[in-house]
Amino acid sequence: MSNALYILLCSGEHEKIQMAGMMASVAAVSERPVEVFVSMNALLAFANGMQPAERYHGGEFSEVMCAKNAPDAIKLFQSGKEFGDLKMWACSMALDVKGWEMSHLEKDLFDGPGGLTKFLSDAENGQLITV
Amino acid sequence: MTDQILDAQGLLCPMPVLEAKKALTKMAAGATLKIIATDPAAKGDFEVFCRNTGHELLESSQDGSIYSFRIRRSA
Repeated sequence: MSNALYILLCSGEHEKIQMAGMMASVAAVSERPVEVFVSMNALLAFANGMQPAERYHGGEFSEVMCAKNAPDAIKLFQSGKEFGDLKMWACSMALDVKGWEMSHLEKDLFDGPGGLTKFLSDAENGQLITV
Repeated sequence: MTDQILDAQGLLCPMPVLEAKKALTKMAAGATLKIIATDPAAKGDFEVFCRNTGHELLESSQDGSIYSFRIRRSA
């Protein structure tokens, strides 16, 4: 079994997107291959050009993170991509039902649309976490 | 001897590790980076980071709420 990390990110909650970004970036910069599959409400948070207040919706901890300038989740994913082996896939079903093209998503973050069959199959060789 | 200093004081986890990685990427093999942090998780994080990446953790110390590390960049 490889040490690759596979994150299935479905929640649109700020706290969960933040944790996914933290896991992905830290694993990637620690030279662990990472793949993130973004679907459901989570995909909405990766729309191109949103301000943090529009992008992130959460509970009490989301408010605290915003007040204390916690690192931005999108920037965490970007750091993982820049300094490590991090691939991000946008769920093709979620893109389809939203009527979105890849260009609707944050620039230079996603490696393309992806399918769950391939992602789950690849994840059999590593560690899968669902958020 | 330290070639570069990274002041990571006030940075929240996981930023000290991410910023260290960013700095190390630009340094030559054998160069040393000193990191100063206030994140209490930094000690464990840098031990594991160095173990996983092959960089050498030369020094790890604490003075009150300030943590200091020196890392030698691997080849």
